[in-house]
Amino acid sequence: MSRYQLDQLDHHIIEVLGKDARVSNRKIAAKLGVTEGTIRGRIKRLQEENYIRFTAISNPSHLGNPRLVLVGILAVQGQVRKLADRIAEMPGIRAVIVTLGRFDILAVGLFDDLESVLDVANNSILPLPGVRHVETSIVVKTLKYNSRIAKIVPSLPHDDSAPRVKPAPAKKKRGD
Amino acid sequence: MATDSTMLDPSKFDDIDRKILSILKSDGRATNQEIARALKIAAATVSARIRRMEEAKAIRVVAAADFSAFGFNVLLSIGVEVQNRPAEAVAEDLAALSEVFGCHLVTGAKDIDLLVALHDFSDLSDFLLNKIGKIHGIRSLSPAIAVDIVKYDFDVSVLK
Repeated sequence: MSRYQLDQLDHHIIEVLGKDARVSNRKIAAKLGVTEGTIRGRIKRLQEENYIRFTAISNPSHLGNPRLVLVGILAVQGQVRKLADRIAEMPGIRAVIVTLGRFDILAVGLFDDLESVLDVANNSILPLPGVRHVETSIVVKTLKYNSRIAKIVPSLPHDDSAPRVKPAPAKKKRGD
Repeated sequence: MATDSTMLDPSKFDDIDRKILSILKSDGRATNQEIARALKIAAATVSARIRRMEEAKAIRVVAAADFSAFGFNVLLSIGVEVQNRPAEAVAEDLAALSEVFGCHLVTGAKDIDLLVALHDFSDLSDFLLNKIGKIHGIRSLSPAIAVDIVKYDFDVSVLK
């Protein structure tokens, strides 16, 4: 763990950018009473250390209200990590977490319809060698979700077909 | 759900909007000039399009910060079974807890699924005994402790 510890200024910057990532360095600097160069340097470091990532959050109602689905998987020990990597590649899957407890792997997906849920859970995950049990539950209502807290996973480039305007921040080891 | 009259109809997103959004998804802090150059359009168009999408609450461009940036080292998914009380009422009480960053009513074996972030395991007893323990109507808790996050890519959230 060679990551530097965040100080008050870093936390203030994260707070400002968490509300609006497009505020200029100049405005943040004026607001926090430091120089623009300081802000630029801090943001660069926060990105390089994978503490923050700038992204656009979409409102689900503009995407045809996709269904959020939790898929709990029990697997043969020794196969868990390999399975998790495979599941992470499946269409619609947004999060894959290796867990200890009620499941071995928890996958979370966003699906346009129930048919695609079935397709991933029953036709793609269940037949994988090493999978013992798959349990699907569909979210009927979200009472709280804070999309500003995330896991910044740098080693998994996502399938964006977007023209990249800047090189991605330097990749760091995953291991925290 | 999508009946709010202030909401922009997704069909009103044109190709330029979608291209801008696609760039913002991978780099939310790309400047208007950089986006304009990549798409060969005017910077003023980029800025107007982003403002329009944001004002329509279709998108919000933000910095998502890592769990570790908030000092959270323990992440749990907890399945909750409810009894003698409507699941939604229990879920509302659970959602009010600061440690809970995700609270969903679900179908299936459990009634509620919680995502909980804690600073460390020593916070667990206070969270379980003093906070969850005071909420009525919980029959059982089935936790799973996150050991390794292989993928975490949520770019969808109800925007207020």
